[in-house]
Formats: sequence, C-alpha cells, structure tokens
Amino acid sequence: MKGKRIKCLGSALCCAMTALTLWGCGTSADNNKVEIEIVQYKPEAAAYFEMVEEEFNATHDDIHLKISSPNDAMTILRTRFIREDYPDIIGIGGDINYSYFVDAEILADISDYEGLKNIKQAYLDIDETLKFVPQEGVFAVPYVANAAGILYNKDMFAEHGWEIPESWEELMSLCESIKAEGVLPFYFGFKDTWTCLAPWNSMAVDLAPADAAKQVNRGETTFTKEYKEVSEKYLKLIPYGPDDPFAYGYNDACTAFARGESAMYPIGSYAIPQILSVNPDLNIDSFVMPASDTKEGNTLNSGIDLQFCVMEGCKNKEAAYEVLDFLIAQENLQKYIDAQIAIPCREGDFELSGMLDGMTAYIESGNMTDYQDHYYPSEMAVDAQIQTFLLNKDVDAFLQKFDTDWQRYNRDIIRLVQEYEKEHGN
Amino acid sequence: MIERKTNWPAMILLILGLSTIIFPLYLTVIIAFKQPSEMTNSISGILSLPKVWNFDNFREAMRVTDFWHSLRNSLLITLVAVGLSLAVHSLMGYALGRNKAKSKFYSFVYLFIVSGMFVPFAILMMPLAKQTAELGLANWVGVILLYVVFYMPMNVLLYSGYLVNIPMALEEAAKVDGASTWTTYWKIIFPIMRPMHATVAVLTALAVWNDVMTPLVILAGSDQNTLPLAQLNFQSQFGTNYNLAFASYLLSLIPILIFYIVCQKQILNGVVNGAVK
Amino acid sequence: MKNERKRTFLLITIPILALFVCFNTIPLIRGVIYSFTNFKGFGSYSWVGFRNYIDLFSDARVGKSYLFTFKLAIVTTVVVNVISLILALALNSKIRAKSFFRGTYFLPNILGALVVGYIFNYFFTYILPALASILGSESLSTSILSNPDSAWFGIMVVCSWQAIAMNTIIYISGLQTVPEDVYEAGGLDGATGFKQFRYLTFPLIIPFFSINMVLCVKNFLMVFDQIMALTKGGPAQSTESISYLIYNNGMSGGQFGFQSANAVVFFIVIVAVSVAQMKFSGKKEEQL
Repeated sequence: MKGKRIKCLGSALCCAMTALTLWGCGTSADNNKVEIEIVQYKPEAAAYFEMVEEEFNATHDDIHLKISSPNDAMTILRTRFIREDYPDIIGIGGDINYSYFVDAEILADISDYEGLKNIKQAYLDIDETLKFVPQEGVFAVPYVANAAGILYNKDMFAEHGWEIPESWEELMSLCESIKAEGVLPFYFGFKDTWTCLAPWNSMAVDLAPADAAKQVNRGETTFTKEYKEVSEKYLKLIPYGPDDPFAYGYNDACTAFARGESAMYPIGSYAIPQILSVNPDLNIDSFVMPASDTKEGNTLNSGIDLQFCVMEGCKNKEAAYEVLDFLIAQENLQKYIDAQIAIPCREGDFELSGMLDGMTAYIESGNMTDYQDHYYPSEMAVDAQIQTFLLNKDVDAFLQKFDTDWQRYNRDIIRLVQEYEKEHGN
Repeated sequence: MIERKTNWPAMILLILGLSTIIFPLYLTVIIAFKQPSEMTNSISGILSLPKVWNFDNFREAMRVTDFWHSLRNSLLITLVAVGLSLAVHSLMGYALGRNKAKSKFYSFVYLFIVSGMFVPFAILMMPLAKQTAELGLANWVGVILLYVVFYMPMNVLLYSGYLVNIPMALEEAAKVDGASTWTTYWKIIFPIMRPMHATVAVLTALAVWNDVMTPLVILAGSDQNTLPLAQLNFQSQFGTNYNLAFASYLLSLIPILIFYIVCQKQILNGVVNGAVK
Repeated sequence: MKNERKRTFLLITIPILALFVCFNTIPLIRGVIYSFTNFKGFGSYSWVGFRNYIDLFSDARVGKSYLFTFKLAIVTTVVVNVISLILALALNSKIRAKSFFRGTYFLPNILGALVVGYIFNYFFTYILPALASILGSESLSTSILSNPDSAWFGIMVVCSWQAIAMNTIIYISGLQTVPEDVYEAGGLDGATGFKQFRYLTFPLIIPFFSINMVLCVKNFLMVFDQIMALTKGGPAQSTESISYLIYNNGMSGGQFGFQSANAVVFFIVIVAVSVAQMKFSGKKEEQL
C-alpha cells in the first residue's frame, strides 16, 4: 500500500519531467525561414499589426514575421533587455527611452537603409536632437507622428455656436460660457498619471523654449523660470474639469467624452480611436492648445509617436530591412493613419483624417514643436510629480522640486554632455 | 460538564460579518453576467440580478486572455512545483533534521537555509531576471526551480521539525534488515511524514498558484502566461467594459474555488499546521 | 554501514544546497554588487561607490515609500489582529453551522490578491461612491483611491479582507488548546466576559498572537499585488510600497543600480524587524 503510493508519486514526477522537456522543444519554429520579431509599444494598434503580420507572412516565403503589441511594452522591453533577450526590431516613441537606447549602443546603425530617403527630414532631425550628444549614425525609421491639443465635440460646438479659441483669454471665456450653459468643459483621466502630461506638453510648447531641457542641462536656465507660466495656467484648467478628476483613468475619460459628458478633452490625437470605439458616431475635431496670449505664440505639439529601430543583436539585417520596407509602403502606412488618426512621417500623398482638420494648417506650415516630456528621464516620474502638483496646487514647491530632482536624475547625462563639450572645445 | 446554549450574539455577529465576504463575491458574479447597458448607478441597478444569464462575457474573456493556455500553464507550474517541493524539501529536511544536532556542518547548512526566509523577493528579483536568462531558464522551468528554492526555508523548517517526533528506532530496525539509508527513507520515513506532506502541499500550492511577481519578472514578454499574469497583461484591453473584465476575474478565481470546496478540510488543517509549527 | 549513511546524507545535501545557493545566495550577492553601480538594466555601467546609498537617504520618494509601507503594515496588523481575535472567539463559541462559518470565513485567503484587488478597485471607484451619495455621505461620494490622504485606507481594507481569514484560523486553533476547565475554574473566581478573556484566555494564546504578528508584519511590509491592482502607487506617489518602487523603478524605470541599493537596505530592515520581533515575543513568553 505504502509502496504503491510512492510509485504513484514517482511516476507522476516522471511524467511531469517528460512533459517539461517535450514542451521546451515544441516551441522552435520552421528552420529554413528567417524569423524576425517585432515588439511595438502601441497596444491600441494591435489589430493593424496583426493584419501586417498576416499579409507579410502570406507574401514572403523566406521570412517569418512575428509582431507582438503587449500592454506596458516599455516595462516588458526593459525586462527583456535585462535578460539580454532582444527582439529584432522594436517599435517605440521618439522619447527619452530612444535616447537611452542610442546611448547604450543597443540599436543598430541603419544609415545604409534605402527607405530612409523617403522619410521627411524634419523627423530625422527630431531623432538627431534626441541623442544626448552628437553621435554618428541613424538609429530609427520615424513612422508616424501624433499631435496633442484639445479634442472637441463638433456637434455640441455647432449647436451652441461656440467658437474655436485662438488665445488663452479666448479659451478661458469659452470655458466660462460652456459652463454657463450647464455643460462640463473638460474631462480629465488623471488616475493614470501619464494623462497629466498631455495638457502639460501642449501648453509647454507654447510657453517654454523648445529646448528647455537641454538649456537646463547646460546650466543656462532653470525650470522654475521656464515653467512658471505653464504651471499657473494649467491650474486654471482644473476647475473646468470633473469634480474629482483623480478618480478616473484614461479609459474612463475617453468613455465619458465619447458619451458627450464634456465638450472638450485635452489629449492627443492617439485617443481618438479609443473614443470612437465607445461611440463610433461621435463627431470629433481638434484644435491647437491656445496657451499663449496671442495667436502667433501658439505652436502645435507634435512628436514622433512610433518609429522602428533595428536592434544591434539582429542577426539578419537584410530581412529586417525587408520588413521595414513593407511597413513603410504607402498603402500600409495609409491604413495605419486611417486606423490611428496619425500623421505620416514619410513623403507622399496621404489622406489625413478629418478629425485633425483644426490642426492641418499648423502641420502643413511645419509650425510644430516636439513634446517636452520626450526629454524627461522616466525614473524622475514627472507625470506623477505633475499629478501631485495638481492635487496640492503649490506652484513654487513643484518647480523647486522639479529643478532639484532634475539635477539628480540627469547627473549622468549632464556629465556626458559636459565631457563631450570639453572634448570638442565647445 | 454543563451543556452550553447556542451563543446567539456570536451567531449574529458572524452572520453580519459574513456579508462582507459574500457581498463582494455576489457583486462579482452579477457584474460578470450583465451587459454594459445594464450598469447603472442606482442602488437597484447595482444589486439587481442580470436580466439574462448568458455566457457571452465569459466566452469573450476566455478568448481575450487565452484562458485555457494560461490555465494549463498555471496548473502545470503548480503541480510540478508542489511535487518537486515534496520530494526535495522532505529529503533536505530529513538530512538536516537527523544530523544538525551532532554535526556542525549540518547545523550550519540548516541555519543557512532557514535564514533564507528573511530574504525579500525584492532584492532577488532584478539579479534573478538576469541570471535565469543567462542560464536559459527564462521560461516556466525556471519559474518552477525558483519556487522550489523560495519555499525551501519554510518547508525544510516544517519537515525537520516534524522529524523530531519520528523515533530513530524505526530506521534502525530497517537497517538491521539490510536496507540502505536511501531505501529506508523512501520506504519508511517518507510515508510516515504524510501529515506534513499535506501541509507543505497545501501551503506551497496556494502560494504558487496566486503568485504574480515571479512570473511577472521571469516570464514577462514571452508568450507564457499564468492566470494572474494574464489578468495583469490584459487589464487595459478590457477598456471600460467592466462586465468583460469581471467575467475574466471570475474565471481566474473558479479553479481555486472548486479546489477549496472539494478539499476544504485538508486546506484548513494544512494551513494551521504550517503556521503553528 | 555508517559510511553509507553519511555518504547518502551528503549526496542529498550537497545538490540541494547548491541549488539553493545558485538561486538565492548568488543573486543576493549580485544584488549587493549592482547596488554599487549606475546600471540601467541594459548597456554599459560604471562603479559609483556609495553614491546610490547616499542618494537613497536624501531621496524623498524612497523615504515616503518607507513611511507608507510601515504605516500600512502597522495599521493593518492591528486591525487584522483585533478583528480576527473577535471572529475567532465567536467562531469558537457554541454556535450552529460551525464548519460552514469557518469554511466561508477562510475563503478570502485562497483567492489571488491581484484579482481581489481589481474587484475592489471597481467597488471603490464606482459602487462605494454610488452607495454613499444615496446615503448622503459627502466624504465618501468620491473614490477613496483618488485622494492621496485616503488611498492607503482602501489598500488597508483589501489587505485586511484577505489576511483576517488566515489569522482567525490560527487564533481558533490557539483557542482550542485552552482546556475547558480553565474557564470553569475562572468562572468560580468570578472571571467572566472581558475579564475572562484578558486574564485567562489571552495569556494562554500568546504564542499564537506572536505567530500572527510575525506573519502579518512580514507580509504587509512586502505588499505588492494589492498596490499593482488598486493604485499603481498613486495618487501623487502616496501609495508606493517599497517592493512596488523597487519593481517599478528598478525593472522598467532604468534605476537597476539605485533600486538594488534600496533592496539591500530593505533586506536589512526586514531582518532587523524580524529579529526584534522574535526577541520581543521570546521575552513575552518567558515572562509567563
């Protein structure tokens, strides 16, 4: 009896171990195909990338493409980098993570890639300024840009005869008149800290120098000086939002705006698909955040939303380039733009969504400025600091902390910049 | 002895207290069955039963979270980790328990392993993420090995404590019959420790089944999900469709609920044994 | 014969010990080593000496997370132990459907903390405010998780909801070790009700009280799942537990080196707290 039980346990263990080994072997792919793996950080575009994956694999016999669009991709990517388990291509934003990856030399130089010729110079320049110090080589193919400002409910505006504001004063009086008619002017989703950055960025481009972060790194100015006006004006937006903006997340805010609970929502164009998924019939348009006192002082907040980088560890660059070719092909890019309401980074005839109408003039004239937060180190958690500031409304304490934290979290970058300048006699 | 009467104040207190457990579970079930249009902010809207009991939410949740795949991974990891823990930890408990009194080496090893209880996962997490990858163990095999190591201090403590109650005479009798120490262990000692096996199995299984952090750090980004990890990864894909989300929560709770209903007595005894010993 | 026994024991001990060293001791040492670098988790890194440790003590965010974690651990431990003792006394008294009650009260403990957190998150955001506004309570009409002053309370509730189950069961098994005749003798001396509990029951279950204290404090100091599910550290970074901060900034925030230093300090704190608790409860038991 006892012996039997031991045997049972023993055989169970054996079975488990066998299963274990078999499982491990089952995952290897077809051997004569080159496998290219993309991890891209926009889960909201997952459906588009599934389609790309399918079409690419149907038309290519020699390459097997695998695209994953995980949630919280930056955490997953960083965790994978810690494990030194690199995908072949990563799709990331043009932000400080890109700067870090360039600095860490884990991205491949793709200046020999033919497709770069079709990319608009302005976006290649943005990538150039994102490098901490000038560095030889091109490390990313800009794919699409986004624009942040204010989304508004077109029907509601038409119904009440509200005008699009072009200066801060007009915006404030617009909010007053919206409120007077019993409608909520703004919705916020501040429970997700990153949404605090959306109004911040679109106001900061109007009110602070475009290279504020770099100026501070060189010791020429302080954020206390540059961001004072932004902070003060930001606080003035809050009373026009819901009673408890910190209770709701991004999804809640999108849903509320989609259901017509507010007239405007200060967020980027990237939120439109999410809003439409709740209410496909909503008539949305957008306008540039008029944070400046004059019309001329305003600029559109636009940056690289998605770009593709080939990793240094990629074994088959040829195959990776073929995948990139497929991605930036005009008809595929157009599909992305339609699905995500984005702005293409390559030359060519593209049809922009009508929901960006209010911003087209700025896009066409090139009056655009990159996101300020693309230069903030992620571990400084500026989004959470802004959230704290919006809760306790203390401008001076917030900016003072911003300046001291900046020095600490950017210590290594500042030293890098200083060493570079010393070396190059600047 | 005087026969005491039913303690009614205690009964009332317990029945009231029960509502704090039943109420959240009740709401979970009804939200999981409702449709978004049925969600209103009035009391009756919150508490009412769904109009129709249909399983669409569950079907959709299963598809989105790849439920069967995650369930298979969770089951496999738990079963193998528990099996290995029983075998490895009881052996270690035996070797250390029988020798730590008279050998400096064994008493040192014993203290060394048991003090591993104080090492928080937070400090191991980052180096382990690197190390498992270097060893090619960034998969569920690695996760299982880590569990065997993490629960070793606790389980070795339990086993060697239990061993004190098992007289040496039993082993010596077997030795006289010419059995080796190894066979003696599997034939005599291992079966005798059965009550402790139950405890260890229950404690380890509950801890492994519900653990989030280890798979999160070791498996993140691979296609292998455990049930809790799947909930974490797909959280925002539900958007604001809370009905779908709740269906998925309920799905992930059901396996352990069934297990609990079936083996309630063993689980309660096991947990108490483990904590009190 | 004797050698065979010795050899077998060695053959058992050495491989298992090696496994333990490989996945517990070595990572621990590596963690300590990383704490002296400015490693981001990828790319190259350099030695920075004690800079991370110096930063640690001047970092308001880290300080805040320690304060929060300790506040949560202490308050939750007290709440959990008081409620579980009351429940255990009730469950141990003469009641009907005893095993049904015991079974149900233990239920929260077996459920995964992450999913329980998600469920409560919804209650705090939507259902509680709806109930409160119907009852006319102003203070509860907004989500308690959205306010930095009250968010920890929500986390405390969820942690307690699950932990009470475990502690109650342990107290019950403690109460069962108290022999019936103690009460009878006490009853003759006029000890009833609270007095009976204070002077008769409680001293006898002190060992179980110590177990519960140790279990609670250790678990709550390492709280992670509930934070992940309920607040992700917000609002205004008011609910970042130490484990959450180490995970979030160390793994995804590029502070691998710095958070390793934090983890080393956290390790020392855990050891100190555990040792202090054991010393304290050892003394308590001796006195009796």
